Amino acid sequence: MLLLILAALAKDESGLLVRLRRRDPQALADLYDSYGAIVFRLILRMVRDTGTAEDLVQETFLRVWNRAAGFDAERGAVGPWLLAVARNRAIDHLRYRGRRPESNIDLNETEHPALFADLRTQPHYFELTRHVSRALAQLAPPQREAIELAYFEGMSQTEIAARLDQPLGTVKTWMRRALQQMREALGGAA
Amino acid sequence: MTCDELRPDYLPFALGVLEEPERSELRSHLDRGCETCAAGLREALAWEFAMGAAVEGPEPPRELRSRILAVAQGRPERRWNWFAAGLSAAAVAAAAVILIVYQAAGSRSGAEAAALREALDLIQAPETREVTFGQGQPTPPRGRVFFRPSGVLLIASHLPPPPTGKTYEMWIIRGGKPAPAGLFRSDAQGDAIHLYRPVTPPTENDTVAVTMEAAGGVTAPTSTPVIVAPL
Repeated sequence: MLLLILAALAKDESGLLVRLRRRDPQALADLYDSYGAIVFRLILRMVRDTGTAEDLVQETFLRVWNRAAGFDAERGAVGPWLLAVARNRAIDHLRYRGRRPESNIDLNETEHPALFADLRTQPHYFELTRHVSRALAQLAPPQREAIELAYFEGMSQTEIAARLDQPLGTVKTWMRRALQQMREALGGAA
Repeated sequence: MTCDELRPDYLPFALGVLEEPERSELRSHLDRGCETCAAGLREALAWEFAMGAAVEGPEPPRELRSRILAVAQGRPERRWNWFAAGLSAAAVAAAAVILIVYQAAGSRSGAEAAALREALDLIQAPETREVTFGQGQPTPPRGRVFFRPSGVLLIASHLPPPPTGKTYEMWIIRGGKPAPAGLFRSDAQGDAIHLYRPVTPPTENDTVAVTMEAAGGVTAPTSTPVIVAPL
């Protein structure tokens, strides 16, 4: 499965972005064929309801479809942008559903297309996906839990500290070490 | 704050969970064109993407793709929720029958499972039309025919299992001439689902009929039809 994902991601996206900006319907179909399953699985993992996940996948693709004009087709990486939009839609849903208090964090900032400029030049862009599961598995349980609460539930570090009954400084240290250890794990695997 | 002090905040920022005042500090570095922080953030964003792409789980429903494309192009939304899609109660029931069979498809061949998925897609397709047969008749079978240019789906109930050496054969009758449209059998409960992919698209002037024939089928019907459904 992971190889299929990698094969899909390996496609040259620049032409796809150009066609998305022109609002070519086939471009949206191609985008879905490349990323639809990835987006669906991510959102389902977060909201744990198939019907809701389908609705949020639709919202995600339509949001990208309607905002593609603001994306630099020559520099941007559409996959990371798409997944950021997907994750934010799911977090919005979790917050709206009232599982926990409203956060004051503006998720829209993290899905601005400009953030994803030049991401394709990241040396380990594809290697990251191949090794991320193993890297996460190698984290100490508290570090992994902190990362997963941040990623899959959109919890702030303050919220994570409260959930895990740990000082805020400890949570920040965990997350810093987690990124460092994932980087080291990748270095060892590449 | 220095770039070194902000280094621990790259991943929380990429995940959208960094709080104040660190978030504004990092944002100001990025706004100033700080290449150190930009590089760190790119790495963190790549991790964010990789974590999402690595999530395992089921495939999305096939219908979701066409639903998204339809909405993007301003066409009426066809939801997986059949009642919301405006389908009749009978169509919903028919789809439910297919779903029950489909959910038991784990032990079926890939071709059978694919055919059941295709049947579900056919029922959901915007251009699909449906007709009923057997309603008001003193004796069954009863059921529905769903059809569009690429497929004809027969769903029947109260269809007795054919005896040994016999099978049901469907026909598309056009201009008074029946053309074979596939063989099928009913199950122990008398239910049957049959999907036929026609070479020539069916029209409203055609009639779907079903006869009981010798196993292996025949090229022209030899018995009185048990189902007649004008399209």
